[in-house]
Amino acid sequence: MSEFCDEQGSNPMVLHKWVALSVLCLLSTACITVKAPEKPIEINLNVKVQQEVVVRLQKDAQELIENNPELFPE
Amino acid sequence: MTRKSFFFAATLGALAAGFALSAPASAQGNVASALAAGQVGEQADGYLGVVGSVSDAIRAEIESINIKRRAAYTDLAAKRGVTVADMAAATGCQTLASRVKTGQKYRIGTGAWQTKGSAPIALPSYCATAG
Repeated sequence: MSEFCDEQGSNPMVLHKWVALSVLCLLSTACITVKAPEKPIEINLNVKVQQEVVVRLQKDAQELIENNPELFPE
Repeated sequence: MTRKSFFFAATLGALAAGFALSAPASAQGNVASALAAGQVGEQADGYLGVVGSVSDAIRAEIESINIKRRAAYTDLAAKRGVTVADMAAATGCQTLASRVKTGQKYRIGTGAWQTKGSAPIALPSYCATAG
């Protein structure tokens, strides 16, 4: 474990590559920067559930009206 | 039981049943005619509303119906795990879609009372079409 970490942390070749890359980025305008969005990305799964609840309630409502004509005069 | 006493009992029973039914039936008739006259209308919130001025009797009858409706909505809402307002609004969708007849009044939200034309009422977006 420690061996691995040491190797990763102090590998001069890797460090060297990163420095070179960042210098290249600073110099070149063609470098693509990826920015994290400021707002978290939300995926709304409630839509379908909500729709199913509404449809179910509509059926309940229909039955309520049919079974209680005195409450729903026409 | 003799034939005569049977008829007597049957007549008494029929009279009692008729009497018991006549009170709500006539009151409901009042509300029905008030609906037809456009004095009373269905609301998208699931309750009846008074459009203009109505007699105290009709007003009382509407209140009574709305209280009973609310009780029914409360029962169903508890069964389905939704709010009473949601259950009431779902019923409002149904009444506006299928109960309100041409020429009768209806209201969506706190908007003005409208008169149903020959076209179906434009329902609020939350009203799904129940299959």
